[in-house]
Amino acid sequence: MVAEVETSGSMQDRRRGGAASNLARSEQINGWLFIMPALVLLGIFMVYPILWSLWMSFQVGRGMNFSFGGFANIIRLTQDPVFIRALSNTLLFLAVQVPIMLMLALLFASALNDSKLWGRGFFRTAIFLPCVTSLVAYSVIFKSIFALDGIANQALLALQLIENPINWLSDPFWARVVVISAITWRWTGYNMIFYLAAMQNIDRSIYEAAKIDGVPTWARFWFITVPMLKPVILFTAVTSTIGTLQLFDEVNLLTNGGPSDATLTLSLYIYNLSFRFMPSFGYAATVSYVIVILVGVLSLIQFLIARDRRR
Amino acid sequence: MSKSLALIGRALTYLALSLAAFVSIFPFFWMVLGTTNTSADIIRGKTTPGGALVDNIIKFLNSFDIARVLFNSFLIAGLGTVLTLLVASLAGYGFEVFRSRFREKIFGGMLLMLSIPFAALMIPLFMMMASFRIINTYQAVILPGIASIFVIFYFRQATKAFPSELRDAARIDGLKEWQIFFYVYMPVMRSTYAAATIIVFMANWNSYLWPLIVLQTNEMKTLTLVVATLTAGYTPDFGVIMVGAIAATLPTLIIFFLLQRRFVEGMLGAVK
Amino acid sequence: MTSFTSRWRRSLAAAALAGTSLFSVAAASAAELVVWCWDPNFNGATMQEAFSRYQAEHPDDTINVVIFDKAAMEQKLQAQLASGSTDGLPDIVLIEDYRAQKYLQSFPGAFEPLNSHIDYSTFAPYKVELATLNGQTYSLPFDSGVTGYFYRTDLLAEAGFGPEDLENITWDQLIEIGKTVKEETGQILLPIDPTGSDWIRIMLQSAGSWYFDADGNVTIAGNPVFKAALETYQRLIASGITTPVSGWTEYTGSFTSGKTLSTFSGVWMTATIKANPDQAGQWGVAPSPRLDGVEGAGNASNLGGSSWYVLSSAPQKEMAIDFLATIWGSDVDFYQKILVNQGALGSLLAAREGEAYQASDEFFSGQPVWQNFSDWLAEIPAVNYGIFTEEADAAVVAQVPAITSGGNIDDIIAAIDAQVRQQTQ
Repeated sequence: MVAEVETSGSMQDRRRGGAASNLARSEQINGWLFIMPALVLLGIFMVYPILWSLWMSFQVGRGMNFSFGGFANIIRLTQDPVFIRALSNTLLFLAVQVPIMLMLALLFASALNDSKLWGRGFFRTAIFLPCVTSLVAYSVIFKSIFALDGIANQALLALQLIENPINWLSDPFWARVVVISAITWRWTGYNMIFYLAAMQNIDRSIYEAAKIDGVPTWARFWFITVPMLKPVILFTAVTSTIGTLQLFDEVNLLTNGGPSDATLTLSLYIYNLSFRFMPSFGYAATVSYVIVILVGVLSLIQFLIARDRRR
Repeated sequence: MSKSLALIGRALTYLALSLAAFVSIFPFFWMVLGTTNTSADIIRGKTTPGGALVDNIIKFLNSFDIARVLFNSFLIAGLGTVLTLLVASLAGYGFEVFRSRFREKIFGGMLLMLSIPFAALMIPLFMMMASFRIINTYQAVILPGIASIFVIFYFRQATKAFPSELRDAARIDGLKEWQIFFYVYMPVMRSTYAAATIIVFMANWNSYLWPLIVLQTNEMKTLTLVVATLTAGYTPDFGVIMVGAIAATLPTLIIFFLLQRRFVEGMLGAVK
Repeated sequence: MTSFTSRWRRSLAAAALAGTSLFSVAAASAAELVVWCWDPNFNGATMQEAFSRYQAEHPDDTINVVIFDKAAMEQKLQAQLASGSTDGLPDIVLIEDYRAQKYLQSFPGAFEPLNSHIDYSTFAPYKVELATLNGQTYSLPFDSGVTGYFYRTDLLAEAGFGPEDLENITWDQLIEIGKTVKEETGQILLPIDPTGSDWIRIMLQSAGSWYFDADGNVTIAGNPVFKAALETYQRLIASGITTPVSGWTEYTGSFTSGKTLSTFSGVWMTATIKANPDQAGQWGVAPSPRLDGVEGAGNASNLGGSSWYVLSSAPQKEMAIDFLATIWGSDVDFYQKILVNQGALGSLLAAREGEAYQASDEFFSGQPVWQNFSDWLAEIPAVNYGIFTEEADAAVVAQVPAITSGGNIDDIIAAIDAQVRQQTQ
């Protein structure tokens, strides 16, 4: 994902020729000035906490009684079956949920970008609604929908899709289905906003021209909309990936990681290690950096694929 | 032939959107229904309107100093949003428009920083706020969130659609870089700012964990913290919680409804 | 809650305005005590009541009770203790008994020992034990989690069962009752939350056992009580007299709506049940059942409960200790009041001689419930919760689906034992 960002520029063009050296210097100065406020704030509020947590990840002990443990926490990771479960659940959620959600968001955004669509404002607001719904109310409601005698079972029974009520939250498979549905429900409208905003930057005349040429709707979507939205699609893919790797709210509220740790995520495990179990802040920090490494590895894979394509 | 096909497509679109809208609104509708019922009825799963609405609203208003709570929430979310949009859009624009290898490395590092779970940074951040002696203040809540990597990243990606011809033309007209940003880029990128306003306001308004840690007294609590507090205890009053939940949802929803209109004005159309 | 504080604030401000000379005197002695706890109607309300009594002697002092959701309060407290900054910490904090040792051992020096101020022989011994580390006791013992079996008298009567059928029974007798009820009326006896381990905790402590022994060693594999508890749990599920629920709301909603007929829980559940006034006279309380064929198994157990702790960094430390010692440590009349108003069963032994404890409760069909709970309280076996109860719980809950689906109990115990040992190394 980093690779994508780096390659789409045209640095050489701007540096061409000696006469342009003044321009280049001004570009350099402006480049720093524009990002300076952000860098200063990040330097204060991110760098120190990150260094502290890195240092903590080499500490072992209980609560505030800790001492330097070298790679003890990393060794503990490899021998911790609960960590392995949390890691594989998180990766499963990532692989299944993110593509479904982004596809849905893109389709909704494209349908709702139609200026001739009646009730556009209503549909947009409705689909956006889930991500502002208060978490407290959301967990009460979702649990009652997926209770043994809840509406989900009643509807499926009435439609004769199932013969016996499904034990949604106490069955490992169905609990995962509920969690994936819940995240998709909550975040699809959120991602849709980015696409809707980006679609305003596409020149409508391109669509008109394609329409006159008889290009069908799906082809216009696939060959015009998607490529034009590529930077924002990349943005949502990266942030949704990070968001899912840090998934906490849904599992904490709906399943508490159960049943059988089937929905335990890395973030929930970090929470347990820091605040529910005997506090091991050092080990919790180590698990946190697993998420960072995962993002790093995913970036690297993306970089290698992008390089291959270019050859 | 193709006309009837288009008609079917149209019908399917409406069907899909209606279904999605129903699924999205249903829990919200349930929440509204909940505000009219007593806690015992909600726990027992009653799904018809009741007569406890006024009672629930009065209990909610008496639970905390709600005027003060709303002031806290609006101040934190409002100020936080304005500062975040300014700092993050400047940075996103800066990273995209003025490029250097070194800054690209910084940007890559920032994306990795974005992936560190906040739980790992919370304790040292609290230590820092304590050493600045700003525990239990608005600035302690607002400051760490202003340079949001997420929003910087968003602005950078959105800036890729900002036509370089516009910038060149502005330069020829003699505008300085900061003038280009404020007088050309900002108006042209209206829909991007609209989306970012919604997202950042919502994030600040709903922010829970950090305000929980850094705010200490009832006088400083935000609406999100208050709604969470309402759920405390063995016998939480769900009627009152539903009133609180609706109150906590409305501001973001109104902002969304007002700003989504921006999404129909084409950016280039506005420039031409 | 806040209205209390603001009212006091206002009267303080009024006093200040009344005359500057008065103000200077008031300012010299007035102090605000800050307390963190997690239930506005229960522990928060009892704290307010206690302080209003203290105020009779100290009219200038005020209290600020800050309520949080329990998990949120624990997270906030831990993050702050870990940061080493005492800025903004309260004077007094409420801690659940299961977690007491974890806090005391994780954050040494954070809490104030109270031995020289409190006569601990006047409190229930098992509560004192929980808060003692290296000979120092840190808590003012508050509410007990003595367990009871709460049941709908009217609905059980339909199947022909009365209060006498529920006295001093075993879990297997309860299973038989549940089966008869299901045959006679088609109703389900108990809701169970498969993501919790409350039932296992109750069963273990009822026989004086826990996941750990007094020295903190893991006692899971080879523990006959643990095995009996899991087997009983498996039989309960297999008998078809339970229905799964998820989370607190659905759980309490199940038995307060009549979907299920009973539950067993700590005494603090009375407030939740009494929140349904239309069911007055339809509830009864029996002792929780005991394990079959286990040595030392009894009908008294504990679930939850909490105590007050003074922070060493407290700005008003002396006042906090004095307040706890004078009201919470000796005011018998105060304990009558919170029993009646909040249903809070304190741990001060002398309190049970008071009037309110003797009274019967019409809501519970005229049973002398408080007297009963006090009697059971005295029989609760003391166990060492240690510092890893949450880790052990997580390991048990991870195996609940295996237990429910009829898995081999020995294999399940081996798996739990292995996970607990790995997690607590």
